[in-house]
Parts: sequence; structure tokens; C-alpha cells
Amino acid sequence: MLAANGMLEDSAVLRVEGLSTKLDGKSIVDSVSFSVNRGEVVGVVGANGSGKTTLMRTVAGLLTANSGEIVIDGTSFGHASGGASRQERSRKVAYMPQLAVSHPFTAFESVLMGRYPHLGRFELEGSGDRDLAWQAMERTSTVEFANRKLDTLSGGERQRVVLARVLVQQADVLLMDEPTASLDLRHQILTMDLVREEVRDRNAAVVVILHDLSLAARFCDRLVVLDGGKKLAEGTPWEVLTPSNLRAAFGVEGLVEPDPVTGKPHVLLLGSDNSSKEDLVGTGRTVHLICGAGSGRELMHQLRVAGYDVTVGVLGIGDSDREAAERLGLNYVAAPPFASITDEQHEAHLELVKAADHVVLCAMAVGLNNVRNVVAATAASNLIMIEPLERVGDLELDVATGVPDFTDGIADELRRGMIEKFGEIPESTLLFELARSRGEDL
Amino acid sequence: MATDFGSSVQRVSTGSTVLRRLLIGTLLLGALTVLVTIVAASVGPFSVPFTHTATTLLDLIGIGESTAKPTEQAIIQSIRLPRIFLAFIVGAALGISGGIMQGLFRNSMADPGIIGVSSGGATGAVIAIATGASTVSTFFLPLFAFIGSAVSMAVVFLIASVGGRFSMTTLLLGGIAVSSFLGAITTATIILTDDLNVQRQIIFWIAGGFDTARWESVQIVAPIIVVGALITIFAARDLNLLLIGEDEARALGVRVTLVRNTLLISASLITGAAVAYSGIIAFVGLVVPHVVRLIVGADHRVLLPLSALGGGLFLLVADTAARIVLSPAELRVGVLTALIGAPFFIYLLVHSRARLI
Repeated sequence: MLAANGMLEDSAVLRVEGLSTKLDGKSIVDSVSFSVNRGEVVGVVGANGSGKTTLMRTVAGLLTANSGEIVIDGTSFGHASGGASRQERSRKVAYMPQLAVSHPFTAFESVLMGRYPHLGRFELEGSGDRDLAWQAMERTSTVEFANRKLDTLSGGERQRVVLARVLVQQADVLLMDEPTASLDLRHQILTMDLVREEVRDRNAAVVVILHDLSLAARFCDRLVVLDGGKKLAEGTPWEVLTPSNLRAAFGVEGLVEPDPVTGKPHVLLLGSDNSSKEDLVGTGRTVHLICGAGSGRELMHQLRVAGYDVTVGVLGIGDSDREAAERLGLNYVAAPPFASITDEQHEAHLELVKAADHVVLCAMAVGLNNVRNVVAATAASNLIMIEPLERVGDLELDVATGVPDFTDGIADELRRGMIEKFGEIPESTLLFELARSRGEDL
Repeated sequence: MATDFGSSVQRVSTGSTVLRRLLIGTLLLGALTVLVTIVAASVGPFSVPFTHTATTLLDLIGIGESTAKPTEQAIIQSIRLPRIFLAFIVGAALGISGGIMQGLFRNSMADPGIIGVSSGGATGAVIAIATGASTVSTFFLPLFAFIGSAVSMAVVFLIASVGGRFSMTTLLLGGIAVSSFLGAITTATIILTDDLNVQRQIIFWIAGGFDTARWESVQIVAPIIVVGALITIFAARDLNLLLIGEDEARALGVRVTLVRNTLLISASLITGAAVAYSGIIAFVGLVVPHVVRLIVGADHRVLLPLSALGGGLFLLVADTAARIVLSPAELRVGVLTALIGAPFFIYLLVHSRARLI
């Protein structure tokens, strides 16, 4: 096609530009933009009501956008969902809905219907179409109930039949709304493998809504996070699945760990700030955090969700850790911005250190103003040290802060001494460490 | 390397293709219809030998010479054949629109009159009879009935479209409400009228029958039903997709609103045309698509044409039975369809165990 040739520089097979959709006058999707290339699987994640399904239905042409543009394979579909373009669109875009409606057709008949976009009005399915349907049913292991009516199948079996129909449609873009929702664990993996295979073999593009973030991270090249109809984040799973995005989009605390098999991010759900505080591993125990410049922020949230009482060491006004401590209502020692820690503050800090069951020293940048925080750590009998994210030379400091040791090596020397005694652990294992020590106590 | 879910079950046969099912069904029902037509044209108060009837029918389509006597030929041609044609075509209309309504509403309870068409037709007919319009011209009774059907369908449509958003549920409920309302008007007219003859005519009309069938009626009603049936059969594939879900249908390229409205309106109009000439005939539109679905499956490309043929055949048999069971008196065919249809349907429900739709 000529129009398509003109768009060669545009490698995206699907481009969504500033898309907004309202339902009953209420804005559900709010100027969302993203694009999907051939050979790519893009996951859409977000809480219930974040607009995922509405976004997908709009892209599929089932809802009319209030503004924005949808470009599929070089053809703009805009807000108009005209009839002439409908069949054309259905050859390019397949849509797999969240729930498979029950109907009186057999599984085979319903799979074969995926060929309709490729047939003329009075054309009947040929043997080629039937072969494609059989292949798709073999791939989704639905052959054994090919002759059964759909309303006699279980939810998961039905979902696999719908998947077969979507495969048979042979569209360039596959839009899938929770294709694994009713599936058992094995079929979840097999289904997503199948999706990846389809993307690889036919150079198709997939947009998939998934609730299981680890599954999304495992199978998607990129993720789009929706929150309240807006795009909150977009990028690779490692870029997108961060504790703060989990908190913002889902209202939960989570740990993001490399999956031991795939190396992709694995999300461990800790809980929500609103969940019951009774009978958690941290109930009745106090953890004191020594941190600064954001190095303890995530830990504060995580420890709170695990039920610990959290106290925090001396934090300067304006420090992002102080803001977090304030927001969470934690007990902490405050100091004026950039001022050195006074004797009075240091004393108060030592009180908290002694009162805590565990003291945690974060891998924060240390200057002369806050070096006494490190000194206070030496007073702890039960210290846990957090490893810096990256090591620069022999300075064991978090380079992300951009501030190495400003204390002429004093802090560094103190830290070295404590490392020899207590060792270091990665930040993401702190909760495990604390839980383990609790288990030993019991 | 393709991902294989692990099953290596042999491809089971999925029955014959659409075309084969359609051909076999058409041949079978067609042959039965021819046989029943010969019987129907032979039996009655004035009996004609089957061979005479067969040769007369062949003569009519230009093959051979009729061996029947002139009186026999006259009775077959001007009395029995129009009635046979009308019964068949009305049955076909009810069968096909029942199939459509059951599909559109995803509901096995749906029948051709579900959106108020039958009761609208009855009210139109009652008005024609009660006002005496039906005595002015023989065309007025069916005309009034058809107008009644069309008006009630339009009203139900308007109810379902209020607020700019069309709803099938509102359509269904609106149809029930309008039907009850119109039914009350009909009953009130029967009760309030002093003229026993009017009462009798109304009750006769409501019970349905083909005793007034003439070639002129066939000439008017046949084109409407044939055109309507063709339109709906053209949309059969889209109706399949509507059944697997509106979203799915749209995503597979169907213009859902256009298809749905076309189907609703043509199914209602052919029902209206049928009701106008036959009165209310129960059960054909409900039972026939069910039975056909049980045998050939739910694919509307097969289901709708075969429901048309099956409906025609069923009503032809019922009408012939209605003519002969109490001969020389006649039982109303609408009574007979329910008398035969309901027990048969119950038998199916009990024995098939299959979820019908």
C-alpha cells in the first residue's frame, strides 16, 4: 500500500496518540500515548478501574475516543469508527475480551469464526480456513473438546478456545484483556509462551492486560502503567516495576527481586498500608533506621507494612527521607537543613538506637553535618548494614546520591569497622533478614 | 517449534460443512414438503386420489398432463393450493423470525412476537373487525393487522432507544409491556361488544387459520416474506458473530447496530405480514428453530434457511390436520399448533437434556 510506504520511518505497527475516552461523561482514559512495534509484547498494568480495559476497547474500535488518534499499520482510525473500515480494521486488529460469553456454538465453530474478516459476505470457510482453525486448536490444546458446545466448557477451557479464535484471525496487532485470568498456573505460562511465539513467528505485536505483575514482567518487553486513566509510567519491566510505582498505581508495598529463573523482575507483594496490623512479623518490634536523602524511604514503607514500629535517626528538614517519615507519622529526630548534628540531637538519636530491637544503617551519603549518624550506629548492638546499590572505587557509598564521602574518610573507616563485625545485606533482603531473626527468637 | 500444550488428540470430525448440512436439510425438507403438499391437496371433505393430485401439480409446473377431473383440478388449484402456499409461507416466516429472535436475544424463550408484533397485529385486526372496516374490503383486515404490528414494533423500538442508547433488555421488557397492554385492549373489546358475530370473528382471528386463503393473499404476503427472509439469511453470518458477543462481533468486523436493527425490523415485518393473513399462530416460531438447532447446530447460515423450510412444513402439516381431524368441521390451526407443539416441545426438553441455546 502506498500510504503504508509513506510511513516507513514509523516502525510502530500501533501508535496511540493522546487518547481520551469518556463513559457516561466521566473521563476514563485521559490522554494516553504509547506505541507498539512489530515483534513486541507490551503489557498494560494498573489497579481496577485504572482504565486498562477501556483503553483497550477504544484501541480495538469498540468504543469511540473523545480525542486522540489511533494509527494502525499506517492507517489512522481517529475517533471515527466508520463501517467501511471495520472489516479492514478487523484484519489488522484482533481483540480478546476479558470474559468469554457463553453461546450455543461448538468450540470448533467458534474458532472458525475468527476467519470471518478474511471471507467475503457469501464466502464459506474453505479447507485452508479449517486447517488454520485446527492448528490453533492444537496449539491451545482445545482439540479434545472441539465438538463440545462452548457453554459446557469450564472458564479456563473457554478462554483457551477464545485464544484459538484470536490466533486464527491472524491480525497484526493482538489486543488481549487478561488472557490468563481463568487459567491454571501451567496454562498461564503456556498461553503467554504461545503469545510470544505468535509475536516471533508472525512478527505480530501484542498489547496485553495482565494482573499478575511477575507474569507481565516475564513476558512483556515493555510495560505501561495506568493510574486513574493516565499513564503513570512506561518502560522495561525493570524500569517500571519499582516499589514507588507499585505504591502509586496499586496502593501496595512490594519488593522487586530478580526472578531466579528468568532474571526478570519478580514482584513480591508485602501488603497494603491499610491492611490489618495484627499478627504480622513486625508487630510489637521496633526497627530504627539511620538514613538520609531518600536512602531509607522505601524501607520505611516496607517495614511499616510488615507491622514494625519504625523510628528514624537524625534527618535534616528538606531531606526526602524526613518528608517520608513525617508523612508516615514515624518517630524521628529532626535537625535544621544542612546544619551539623548537635549534641542534644545526637543524644536523642542514641536513645532511639538503644530502644530499638534492630538498627539499620542505610547506604547513605555522609558529610560532616551528618557524620554523627554513622557514629550513633556504632552504639547499636544489633546492627544491620545495607549494601550500596553500586560501589565506586573503594568508597562504599551510594553513588545515586551523587555525594560520596565528604568526611575525609572518617565515615568510611567507621563503616568498614562495622562491616567487619556485622556484614552487609542488600536492601531488598532486609525484611527477610528481620523475619528470619524473629523466627529464631521464637 | 510450536508451543504444544501437550495434548495430541486426533482431530475429531466436526460434522459436515455448512454447505453440506444446508443441502441435505433442504433436500430432505423439500422432499417431505412435496409429499405433504400432495396429501394436503388430496384430502378434505372432497377427496381427490393422490395420483390425480400428483399429475395436476406436475401439469401446473409444465410437466405432463393432469389426469384429474375438471372439478378436482378446480378444487386443487383455486381452493387447496393457495391455502397450502399460504400456510407454508407463513410457517416459513414464523420459523425464520423465531430463529432470529432467539439468536438476537440469546434466549430460548424468544418467539417472533417477542417485541409486540403479534399483539399489535391482533389489535389492528380487532379494530378492523369491531369498526366494521373488515366488511368493507377483504384487504382491510390484513392491512389493519399489519399496521398494528408495525406500529407496536415502532413503539417498542422507541422505548428501547430512549436516552440515545439502545438496549436489548429494554426492548424485551418493552415488548412484554406493550403486548400486555394491547392484549388488554383486545380482551376489553371482546367483552364490551354486544355483537356476538364480532366476538366470534375476533376469537376466530386470534386463534389463527387459513380458511380465507386465496391466491390474492398469497400474492401480497409472499413477496414481503420472501424479501424479508432473504435479507435475514444474508445477515446470518453476522448473527453468528453477534451470538459470540457484541464486542467480539465488532472486533471481527461486524457493523453491530446496523445488523441488529436490520434483523429486528425484517424479522418483525415478516412476522407482521404472516400474522396479518393467518392470525396468531402459537408455537411454530418457538419450537421449529429449537428442533432445527438440535439437529444441525447453531450456525445461522444453516439454521435460518432450514427453520424457514421446517416452519413451512410444520404449519402445512398442522393446517392439513386442522382441516381433517374434525371434518367436515375445521379446527383452528393456531389451536392445533399449540396442541401438537407444546407436548412435543416438552418431550424434547425432557429427553434431549441438551442446553438448547
